[in-house]
Amino acid sequence: MFATENAYYPDYSTKPIQHSFSPYADNGGSVVAIAGDDFVVVGADTRLSAGFSIYTREQNKLFPLSNTTVLGCSGCWCDTLTLTRILKSRMQMYHQEHNKVMSTTACAQMLSTMLYYKRFFPYYISNILVGLDNEGKGCIYSYDPIGHCEKTTYRAGGSAGALLQPLLDNQIGQKNLTKVSAESITQEKALAILKDVFISAAERDIYTGDNVMINIITKDGIKEDNFELRKD
Amino acid sequence: MFLTRSEYDRGVNTFSPEGRLFQVEYAIEAIKLGSTAIGICTSEGVVLAVEKRITSPLMEPTTIEKIVEVDKHIGCAVSGLMADSRTMIDRARVECQNHWFVYNENMSVESCAQGVSNLAIQFGDSDDDGAAMSRPFGVAILFAGIDEKGPQLYHMDPSGTFVQFDAKAIGSGSEGAQQSLQEVYHRSMTLEEATTAALTILKQVMEEKLNASNVEVMTMTPKDLFHMFPKEQVEEVIGKLT
Repeated sequence: MFATENAYYPDYSTKPIQHSFSPYADNGGSVVAIAGDDFVVVGADTRLSAGFSIYTREQNKLFPLSNTTVLGCSGCWCDTLTLTRILKSRMQMYHQEHNKVMSTTACAQMLSTMLYYKRFFPYYISNILVGLDNEGKGCIYSYDPIGHCEKTTYRAGGSAGALLQPLLDNQIGQKNLTKVSAESITQEKALAILKDVFISAAERDIYTGDNVMINIITKDGIKEDNFELRKD
Repeated sequence: MFLTRSEYDRGVNTFSPEGRLFQVEYAIEAIKLGSTAIGICTSEGVVLAVEKRITSPLMEPTTIEKIVEVDKHIGCAVSGLMADSRTMIDRARVECQNHWFVYNENMSVESCAQGVSNLAIQFGDSDDDGAAMSRPFGVAILFAGIDEKGPQLYHMDPSGTFVQFDAKAIGSGSEGAQQSLQEVYHRSMTLEEATTAALTILKQVMEEKLNASNVEVMTMTPKDLFHMFPKEQVEEVIGKLT
């Protein structure tokens, strides 16, 4: 008798093997955003990886959509490319149809509907949209892949999102503190915390590292900054 | 002029040798048969006043609806073929709701007019997404609204052309009314003055005697947005007319 299957030698199995195609990849990356009264800062690491390999150490994941709006993306990089290209063209079409630049609030709602329209084949992206609202205040909108949208004042997303959010809750949201300050956060402090949390993320998360690209959005426009992280 | 119209006024999308679209021009003529509507835009808000033709004493005047709400911040007065206007108002409403749904903001008055204009020129035998109508719409519309630019008044004719106005009259009495508007309009007008002026002019151009049941009045203000005058309020304004 020939055994067609042997538990000790699975390589010799003669059963048909089913191969499946996965349309998604997780390319990692983290985005952190902190909003103040008249500014918002957003940072994203520049590492693009797949499993234990690194595709590049210098991939910018922040996408300026207007003078007051920036989108930070992490997750499936190919989905990010498509989504941001569609967003860019939608921004331009809106500008031409309505003779005005789309506000951050309008863009936030549009992104939510765009994501929901792909409810059953979603863009696998953790999106964080930041900008200045109609009163000039800093605002942050964070999304799940199917378009749930939440407006906040600080947010961490992406591969180190779960790692960093409690840290921000404590450091910015002043959660579980006995001495709570009533003053609103300054741009300097926001930047310092942003850099600190990325250093922490790079220590623990293998998908976060190399560099942080930072965008500082004020009424004067978008300022870019760069900050080095550990590269292992 | 009328002699040359023999061949080229048949097809709705056929230019005459002089470069004219007669069916569109006839549609513009058609709205001159409609009831008069007046719109005045002030810094405080916009007022719309429309005459309702009560052709029979057995008719129920409230069933004639010539001023309609498109969104909380946009109202329309129509003149011409009322049935055609339904289609256009419906489009305006859909455009506004869609804009709110996608962008979570009020649609600007101009964009709303643009949306309706796109419908207005979809007559004839366009092949791609199917013609909306076999002929031009026989309707002129006044859009009164509030957006980030403040109170605004737009006029649109059957050709789909839309232009912003400080004050505009459409319908059968439009020529005389437009003349009177030019005389009476000034930039520092209050909304109350504009309401009185609109009804005074309407009174002059109307064939029947003006009363609270054969006119409709609406104001669009940043505070109250779309406000249709109830009968008592219309009577109050009419009482003030000299």
